Amino acid sequence: MKSMPRWSFAAFLFILAAGLFGPLLFANGPQSTVAKPFAPPAWMGGEAPPPLSASLSPEQPSLSIDWKWTAPENISIRGTVLFDDSPANASLVWKTPDGKTFILGSFSGSGEWSVDIDARDVAFKTDLGVAPFQSALGLLFPSQGNIRISIEGTSPSSGSLDVTVPGGKWGLLGTDQRGRDVLSLFIAGIRVSLLVGIAATLLASLLGLSIGLASGYLGGVIDSLIMRAVDVLLSIPVLPILMVIVGIWGKGLWQLILILGLFSWMGTARTVRSLALTLRETGYVENLRSIGASPFYILYRHLLPEVLPVLLATISLGVPGAILAEAGLSFLGLSDPRVISWGRMLHEAHGFGAFTAGAWWLILPPGLGISIICLVFLDMGRAIEEMADPRLLKGGRR
Amino acid sequence: MRSYWARRAAGAVLVLLLVIAANFFLFRIMPGDAVSSIVDPRFSPEAKERMRELFGLDLPLHSQFFIYVRRMLTFDFGLSFLSQRPVWDEIRSRIPNTIALLGSALLLSSVIGTWLGVHAARKRGGFVEKLVLISGSVSFSFPSFFVQLVLLLLFAYTFPVFPLRGTVSIPMPQGTLNLVLDYIMHMVLPAGSLVLLGFGSWAIYVRNLMVKTLGKDFILLARAKGLSEERILWNHAFRSALPPVLTIFLLALPGIVSGAVITETVFSLHGVGKFLLDSILGHDYPAAGAAFYILGLLTIFSNLVADAAYSIADPRIRVGRRAER
Repeated sequence: MKSMPRWSFAAFLFILAAGLFGPLLFANGPQSTVAKPFAPPAWMGGEAPPPLSASLSPEQPSLSIDWKWTAPENISIRGTVLFDDSPANASLVWKTPDGKTFILGSFSGSGEWSVDIDARDVAFKTDLGVAPFQSALGLLFPSQGNIRISIEGTSPSSGSLDVTVPGGKWGLLGTDQRGRDVLSLFIAGIRVSLLVGIAATLLASLLGLSIGLASGYLGGVIDSLIMRAVDVLLSIPVLPILMVIVGIWGKGLWQLILILGLFSWMGTARTVRSLALTLRETGYVENLRSIGASPFYILYRHLLPEVLPVLLATISLGVPGAILAEAGLSFLGLSDPRVISWGRMLHEAHGFGAFTAGAWWLILPPGLGISIICLVFLDMGRAIEEMADPRLLKGGRR
Repeated sequence: MRSYWARRAAGAVLVLLLVIAANFFLFRIMPGDAVSSIVDPRFSPEAKERMRELFGLDLPLHSQFFIYVRRMLTFDFGLSFLSQRPVWDEIRSRIPNTIALLGSALLLSSVIGTWLGVHAARKRGGFVEKLVLISGSVSFSFPSFFVQLVLLLLFAYTFPVFPLRGTVSIPMPQGTLNLVLDYIMHMVLPAGSLVLLGFGSWAIYVRNLMVKTLGKDFILLARAKGLSEERILWNHAFRSALPPVLTIFLLALPGIVSGAVITETVFSLHGVGKFLLDSILGHDYPAAGAAFYILGLLTIFSNLVADAAYSIADPRIRVGRRAER
């Protein structure tokens, strides 16, 4: 037995950790909009503004932004401030570089002032005197220079107003067609790939193990019937069947796992069967039979432990198939649209104009993610296979 | 030989029946039946009953099944829910495209894969063997649509060498030669990507087989006779490894058909696989069933072709001894 550490085991642990804990790194969750659609990664440079967020508070009642770009896609100001003075009279004032002043909102009364401004709101636009179908941002950002936002009048005692301008570039991997953070989506996709790959393969292996053991150990008519069925199932293309079943039955994640498991046990069954055939003829199994051990006892207590190491290898080698099948179905649009997966990301990139936007960052990360995770499982499978070489079972050790 | 063919034909008929049965039952487990999707809820129960009679839904299940088998065998697939035209008319024009895609991909990847595999086995540790091992890993782990999307991004958007989508340009080019060239230009990326993804696993299988064969005694004898390396490689070693190589074809086929479905979607080809997806997404069950059936038929037919090639390549079958597979 070799106990050489393989890179793939470390990589697997890393991927597992990333899948489990990675999403916690993102405060907002993958579904929230962070920048304009198809914003390129921040490190690519270019003429786009970075995302901007600042807040107005009692300590800092006015903000000054040095704006060096064309008008952004949107601006939002949200939050609550409290006034001790009663009655209070305050207003939110926006001063453009060319000296114009806009009152974005005002408050009179006492207590709490809640502000929720989105520059795309029709009410907000009409207040500024812009037609509903026009953009208010040209007014707010008419030219490059210094923009001042301030709370005038009574000064607030506590609370804050958050000013956010979505950037024209974002993070490590940019944004998708809805302005979502691709890095966050990518990390969220690890979970689905791992879950579907491992759960479906475990199910398939369990099926393959029981069918293969039964077929190999019992032999006879059962064996030839099962092997005929395996031949037939292996000669039909699986993807069209999966497409039809998913189309009829529904696109849920657990349904997908179940279906994938039900259609990928054949390889394991074959491997286990041939092992069981060999083991059946060994001396100790014959001795067990002669002292009256029941077939179930022999299968469960003696053949199963012998087969397990090999089974571990077939599980690891089978995971890429399940991951690729899930990704393929998701890519075709046959997956739950609410579940973020790498296949789904590629589906959306293909369907929502990532090409015309030249957004390679929507295509490379999920594709390479699938490939790398598959390579890791393949290499792990080969390593386990070497450790549990079936030749050891036949000769040497015993 | 007779018994071999009888067994193969029986197998093909069995698979065909299974495909039809799967179709029959899959599309019957969905809620409602063929009638409930077209009748108006305001229809009287008598009218509904008459409709069910018209569609044969009042018959017992087994006679429904026999009627269904007969309709499938005569390509009578009924009307499409979406277009209200006969499904067969819709699907007929798509079959040649799918066959062209599948055929060219299979042929090229098997020829390239076999050639590379044989050469990898001849020079162990050489450049060709490394290439084969790497391309094998790639074809086992890279999703086809990802590779295709990257190719599309590179060769249709960034460097627009090949057309983006479809099987013919709009407007259609004039003249037969131009039409053929246009068709080939549209097929280069889809078929090429399938070859790129397919030849690796093929080459690895062939290499493994050839490595085993080249270690056998009769190769040593051929060397001792002083035959040329080329001749030993192809006439002796490859000739004896050919039958198992053909069984790889059988193993690879379902995967390639699945790959074609995805490929047709990526490149928006006018093919059966794209039709299957569109029908499933549009809940057009007669059309989806027909597309599934046609894909099954194509697989079964290619299986039979591979069996024929196998029987020619394996002399034990030709002279009538029991084949051992």
